[in-house]
Amino acid sequence: MSDVTLLAAEALPERAAGNWTRGRPYLAYALQRLGQAIIVIVLAYVLSFLLISVLPGNPIATTLENPQSGLSPAQVKQVESYYGVTKPVLVQLWLALSRFVRGQLGVSLVSHQRVTSLLAGALPYTAKLAGLALLIALILSAAIAYGAQYLPARWARGLLRSVPSLFLSVPNFIIGLLLIRAFSFQLHTFDVLSPDSPVATAFAALALAIPICAPLAEVLIANLDHESAQEYVLVARSRGLGKARLFARHLVKPSALPAVTIAALIVGELMGGALITEEVFGRNGIGSVMYTAVSNQDTPVLQAIVALAAVVFVVVNLLADLIAPLLDPRVRLAGRSRREVATA
Amino acid sequence: MSLAVAPPPVVPQPSRRLPSALRGVLGIPPTVLASFVIIVIVFGWALLPGLFTAHSPVLADPTARFEPPSAQHWFGTDYLGRDEFARVVYGAASSMGTALVAVGIGLFAGGVIGLLAGFFGSWTDSVLGRLVDTLLAIPAFLLAVVVVSALGFETINAAIATGVSSVAIFARLMRAEVMKVRHNVFVESSYLQGGSRRYVLFRHVLPNAYRSVLALAVLQVGNAIIVIAALAFLGYGSPPPASDWGLLVSDGQTYQIAPWLVYCPAIVIVLTVLSINRISRWLRKTN
Repeated sequence: MSDVTLLAAEALPERAAGNWTRGRPYLAYALQRLGQAIIVIVLAYVLSFLLISVLPGNPIATTLENPQSGLSPAQVKQVESYYGVTKPVLVQLWLALSRFVRGQLGVSLVSHQRVTSLLAGALPYTAKLAGLALLIALILSAAIAYGAQYLPARWARGLLRSVPSLFLSVPNFIIGLLLIRAFSFQLHTFDVLSPDSPVATAFAALALAIPICAPLAEVLIANLDHESAQEYVLVARSRGLGKARLFARHLVKPSALPAVTIAALIVGELMGGALITEEVFGRNGIGSVMYTAVSNQDTPVLQAIVALAAVVFVVVNLLADLIAPLLDPRVRLAGRSRREVATA
Repeated sequence: MSLAVAPPPVVPQPSRRLPSALRGVLGIPPTVLASFVIIVIVFGWALLPGLFTAHSPVLADPTARFEPPSAQHWFGTDYLGRDEFARVVYGAASSMGTALVAVGIGLFAGGVIGLLAGFFGSWTDSVLGRLVDTLLAIPAFLLAVVVVSALGFETINAAIATGVSSVAIFARLMRAEVMKVRHNVFVESSYLQGGSRRYVLFRHVLPNAYRSVLALAVLQVGNAIIVIAALAFLGYGSPPPASDWGLLVSDGQTYQIAPWLVYCPAIVIVLTVLSINRISRWLRKTN
């Protein structure tokens, strides 16, 4: 979880405007990023295929040879030819890849359902959890950053500043277990047996949000520190602007801008964390599909989950990279003046 | 009123002097010192568990099941009457050792990739860059699950999986550091004086890049402990006679009547990771 912070800290100056360097045509930049994104998605699928297929044991063959698989010999033949099991690995890869590009993800080896419908059924649960967690994380990190800057007591500000590193050190399954113990077993705020109730969902999202909000809060605190030291803040203060108004009118936007890119990077953490949180709270979703697939060596399903995660990550980051330069007025101005110079 | 106002200037004095005295002696802030102490103890558990507990981690005592923490059993006992503290102490070797293996893998593979990409640039950089982007696009935990499920459920495989999932971040940082150094005047002058590529790489580029990569490596040990604990919690580590910390938490959560079986190993995990993160932060600051 801590990776993102460091990545962010290391890469902030260049990432602040979404990797877009000034003076480059925006369209060319957008097209290049789009091309990279597509390459990365295809590579992610290839990588997951190779990881699963090249490593010892051929799960598809094993499943087919298992007399308890409940498949008739004709069905076995059908599955074998579908995945090209008897052919060399590279041919199998080509088969899988050409189907993947057309959006076909194959059939589960266990439930014989289409992988796409299997994932489509589970996705809404995970999306709900992750979306709510992201919202909570954003609010929480903003509150921490604001408090760390403006709380009247010095010790309280210091305390808040150490909160992100504490949050980073607690695995989210432990947070989940503690929440369940405190609020379900002792206070009976929610029932663990009905994990999809709104209250239980809120607690699951909270468990997921706490480690996620740490890097966000860290970046926000650092940006607020940086912006507060700028001269325009001094000018605004000397003109009699109150701290709260100053924060709302002048500090929020420049401090939150780099956080957009960080928030996009966090999506990976969010998805990984959601898989564990779902298990801890006994929720339905991609997580439970994944655990079943892992214990049954259901490779097409596993590969599809990896591909899905990569697609989500790449698309969100692509959007963030494309939007960030448009949000930053400095970049916008630089672009306009350059264009004016060019036409003059 | 005056009584209430008077103390403040006096009180902070001694409390502020002690840390500053420590700082003067060792050059290390007290929280970092405390973190080092915790890490040394945990490493002690891993290397010489017998020194820290007289109990056996596997010997069951049916007469002492689910005993709450006491002077005899610091962390209480579990459902077989085994001493939980002994299980945590003996689990340290596996939990810490595998975290180090994971970081070693990430550091080596990621370091080499980043070094090549940053040092040679051009198409090497583009090809390796896409590879790193790909590794980064798969959530680290999901990647670890896929790798461990392909290799088989054992703690060492969980470590390999965790290592693979951290390759990208090491590669990114190493590349950034190398790029920073590469265009310095002293590197150019070294070339001009007839230094070979290899000489420049090992004499100038690596020594300048290693400090922040080291800070990341320390940070990653904490992260690896969390990921490996999560994998063990899900049952993707070695099966029960082993006592990985994540496994202890997952064992403990089955028994509602014995909350200490969850709290104690959980606190150990959090304190260990917190200490490691504190040390890493300090390394980065003094960089």
